Amino acid sequence: MDETTPLGSIHVSPQAIASIAYHAALQSYGVVGLTSKSLMEGLAHVLVKDPTKGVEVQYDGQSIMIDLYVIIEYGTRIKSVATSVSNTVRFQVEKALGMPIHEVNVHVRGLRITDYD
Amino acid sequence: MLSDPTPVARSDPDTAKTVIDGQTFKRLVEASLTWLRTNHQIVNSLNVFPVPDGDTGTNMLLTMQAAFDEIANSGEHNLGKMVHSVSHGALMGARGNSGVILSQLWRGFARAVDNKAVLDVPTMVQAFAAARDTAYKGVVRPVEGTILTVAKDIATAADSAQASTDNPVTLLDILVTAADRSVQRTPELLPVLKEAGVVDAGGKGLFFILEGMLRYLKGEPLDVAITAVLPLSEMIFENTMEAIEPGQDFEVIVDFRPHEPLELPVFYNDLEQMGTSIQVGEGDGMYRLHIHVPTEKLYSPIDYTRSLGVITKIAIENLIAQMEERQDSCDDSQPIIAPIEPGQIAVIAVSPGPGISRVFASLGVAGIVEGGQTMNPSTQEIIHSFENLPTDKVILLPNNKNIILAAQAAAELTVKTVAVIPSRSVPQGLAAIMRLIPDGNFETVVSEMNEALEDVETGEITIATRSVEIDNVQVREGEIIALHNGKLVLAAASLEEACLELLKESQADHFELITMFYGDNISKAEVFRIADKVRTVYPAQEVEIQEGCQPHYQFIIAIE
Repeated sequence: MDETTPLGSIHVSPQAIASIAYHAALQSYGVVGLTSKSLMEGLAHVLVKDPTKGVEVQYDGQSIMIDLYVIIEYGTRIKSVATSVSNTVRFQVEKALGMPIHEVNVHVRGLRITDYD
Repeated sequence: MLSDPTPVARSDPDTAKTVIDGQTFKRLVEASLTWLRTNHQIVNSLNVFPVPDGDTGTNMLLTMQAAFDEIANSGEHNLGKMVHSVSHGALMGARGNSGVILSQLWRGFARAVDNKAVLDVPTMVQAFAAARDTAYKGVVRPVEGTILTVAKDIATAADSAQASTDNPVTLLDILVTAADRSVQRTPELLPVLKEAGVVDAGGKGLFFILEGMLRYLKGEPLDVAITAVLPLSEMIFENTMEAIEPGQDFEVIVDFRPHEPLELPVFYNDLEQMGTSIQVGEGDGMYRLHIHVPTEKLYSPIDYTRSLGVITKIAIENLIAQMEERQDSCDDSQPIIAPIEPGQIAVIAVSPGPGISRVFASLGVAGIVEGGQTMNPSTQEIIHSFENLPTDKVILLPNNKNIILAAQAAAELTVKTVAVIPSRSVPQGLAAIMRLIPDGNFETVVSEMNEALEDVETGEITIATRSVEIDNVQVREGEIIALHNGKLVLAAASLEEACLELLKESQADHFELITMFYGDNISKAEVFRIADKVRTVYPAQEVEIQEGCQPHYQFIIAIE
């Protein structure tokens, strides 16, 4: 993301944005991890530690789009958790970046089951 | 209001121990729901973020409502089964962040009381610990100073109090105190709360849930708002506007320092003789009194407090004038339109109101033409809106069936490539612009936008200007009417009824999102009241309110 000021230009790399989104997602209730997009569905429970995996940031010169690949805690209402993580990520990234985010897409890639009811 | 409540005999700790079985627990859940409903506006007002968790109080309330609905007709006596149903209901109805956490607390609680017939002290201790553990499992990096912290402090308090009592009511009393203390401590843990001068909203909601149960067991009323003294920072007067009753013309706020400690019951009793919406706050020995009074008693609260202590400040507002001002106070600031790059696709939208213009601007339109039902823009105005843009690819969204022709005429009168998407309403226009890719292929974007028109149902609510019968709907002048996709479907006596009937007509329960743009002819209090009603009827749908500021139409509703 580029901005030109009289003193020069500001460049923010997609990785930096991904990092903010990653931390925001992990602070969001119900999200227990992120998973790499490229893994097969069957391996979706493999959680990633690298902030740029599991978060995809696209910038087409006009708008910013963020895709999140998340694992959610079993037993939570997935729709509410997904809405909430999308809100949190949008809020935190917009706050840090001062630019509007066009889209935050949440892909629920799996559930972590710690307890059966 | 603070008159001595009669304690329920069976809960007197000295005479007999309370037995909490499934049915008693049902009453407790009902009590916490009622108490939360009484106080949810207080919780809402504690919110510090614009997002992520918009209205914490409402979200928690709706979650508790779903939990109670699950057991409302249950005759189950087994505690474990009852709590399990509560947990199930909370889970299914969980709304927002705080609602999800609340549902997880219930889930843990339910697991610990599985197969228990009654709730005794050891079970309670285990249950609160399990609630805490389950809730903490749901997040990788728990933020302290939130509802999670309050749940943790409650569990800790339960653990250390179990040796001292075997009465569940006594224990609950201790836990409510612990919850309160924990809530007060949240600003110390979470700087953003401290900056905003509030306590954590979710934690406060959890406190109200437990306090509601305790109040029920003690026989205290649940439907009267706070009669106790609030910290000054928590006094919220915004919400009292909604409670204005006829005859309560003035709002009086008095700051004073009493000569002697206040006798609160007497104080409240005396104030109730003067007016309504009483709130009293305290900080550092300084009291703030808020009250609504009729004109003839305008000076009574001032004279009264002068007899009690030294008055430092008085503020009086004329509520009626203020209400009128509120109703007119539509934010009519101009939308900020981001310039487009040369060669990109430019979208021009016709918008009936400043609020709707701002929404279009935020979605990336290159220009706005003001116009709507009774103020159709001319072909010239439309051409003017895109003539000077640095592109020859233009898409027009007329957003009203009466403007489509003017837009098409404009398209023919220019050398630029102009496509008119025949959007017949604002929601259709919004659905179309969602498909905009500024650098995309023009034909593809146009066909995508045309397709998008079918994605959304439009509802419009307005007042009939004359008596008429159309499509077998009989309408009298002055009645509220509702249009579904431009077609008159019903007439109703109230806005609320019209909205609900319209949503029913458009089968809103098959959709996901209901967005209500409210006009410049309706008060915000009324909007929020109706939106709350809609949320109650459509718990599975997201209901959003947007300031539209359009004239004539109280609501334009997008159902998608």
